[in-house]
Amino acid sequence: MATSDKLIQVKDLKKYYNGDAIKALDGVSVDINKGDVMVIIGPSGSGKSTFLRSLNLLETPTSGSIIFEGTDITQKKGPDGKKLNIDLHREKMGMVFQHFNLFPHKTILQNMTLAPVKVKGMSQEEADKKAMELLGRVGLADRANAYPIQLSGGQKQRVAIVRALAMEPDVMLFDEPTSALDPEMVGEVLDVMKKLAQEGMTMVVVTHEMGFAREVGSRILFMADGKLLEEGTPDAVFNHPQNPRLQDFLSKVL
Amino acid sequence: MNFATIGQNIVKLTAKYWDKFLLTGMGYTLSLAAITVAVGAILGALIAFMRMSKIAPLRWIAGIYTEIIRGTPMLLQLYLFYFALPQLVPLLKKQQYACVAIALVCNSAAYVSEIIRSGIQAVDIGQTEAARSLGMSHKLTMTQIILPQAIKNILPALGNEFIMIVKDTSLASTFFIGDLMTQVLVVKGATYLTIEPLIMVAIIYFVLTFVLTKLLGVFERRLRRGDIR
Repeated sequence: MATSDKLIQVKDLKKYYNGDAIKALDGVSVDINKGDVMVIIGPSGSGKSTFLRSLNLLETPTSGSIIFEGTDITQKKGPDGKKLNIDLHREKMGMVFQHFNLFPHKTILQNMTLAPVKVKGMSQEEADKKAMELLGRVGLADRANAYPIQLSGGQKQRVAIVRALAMEPDVMLFDEPTSALDPEMVGEVLDVMKKLAQEGMTMVVVTHEMGFAREVGSRILFMADGKLLEEGTPDAVFNHPQNPRLQDFLSKVL
Repeated sequence: MNFATIGQNIVKLTAKYWDKFLLTGMGYTLSLAAITVAVGAILGALIAFMRMSKIAPLRWIAGIYTEIIRGTPMLLQLYLFYFALPQLVPLLKKQQYACVAIALVCNSAAYVSEIIRSGIQAVDIGQTEAARSLGMSHKLTMTQIILPQAIKNILPALGNEFIMIVKDTSLASTFFIGDLMTQVLVVKGATYLTIEPLIMVAIIYFVLTFVLTKLLGVFERRLRRGDIR
């Protein structure tokens, strides 16, 4: 596979707390290619979320490197020798959180246009138009002027997804996007994510939804104790698991 | 002690000294409180941002300042400023009002800084993470996302601080600054009556703080209405 297909290269990523007493990430290496729908599964406390949050440096890794579109973003200085501005890289990585994190003091439309206007310098009309189009795609165009508190959990998460998409990112990171939702709202959020995957968006998804992983994922990663223990196609991971930890995990969740 | 006599005396004192209480006393009390709140809030904001700074020495200075002010009695601080300031700054010689105002400001700034700091830190960390993940800078995140939400935590507590300060200015009477409590001493000296001027000033303090509390309540309800819409 040519290097140009590699969107994010993660090399020997480590995240230690209290010296090296707690190893949240213990040497994870993986390449994320354009168009991948990479689903990360594993038991609680396995380092899945820490890994995902390290990709856009919401967590600062203890060591290792993350090369995003040719730039090692863990370095203080960029390739041009100037101080690396992480904001420029973050705007190309959309992120969706477990607890939505919509801005409660702004309307849905304002939530979606704030960053495009203030960060990318888009005009307000252009940002509004794009936001309305995105809201239409997730069936929420009529809620553009509502405030987050007036929406259901599923609606909030759909807004959070299109808010990230409004920045036209090259990759979308999902951190347990359905874990805080009532069961009947999980489906509507997963549907949006499925559509996104079908459109060719590169996605990294941490989730406990095994059905989604099996159906939509192009690559499945199994993590435990901060290590990447197994990787493969959905068929290989779910139907022919090799690692005993993975076999044990699947026997509990399937 | 005879309640009827006290009542008659209060009526007499009101007729004779109302201007001392309602003009001079209240004027000094409210002006001291207003200066303290206004300058104290600006200074407090500065200290709060120092405490949350990335630069460690700034954090230490702000932390030590807050701890010392909060850990020593206000009356002691007033004495210290009143006697030490004119010796350190010649401009403040015989400027008792200014010295007391500065002491009150320095005291209030420490408390206000804690109100502002806790108000900002009470905003969910997820808000910062969401803003930063969209590529917003630290500054943009602060001004667009964090501060507008923090202000709802800060303003009600700041209002309470204002009410506290109105009462705390009574300590200025130690130096005969002219505030309400000073007028008690003035009237007592002129009439040899103690209880009557105390009751009168108590009523004035109460009305002042009661009105302020009610005004704050209206203001708070308005802030909260913004949450529901």
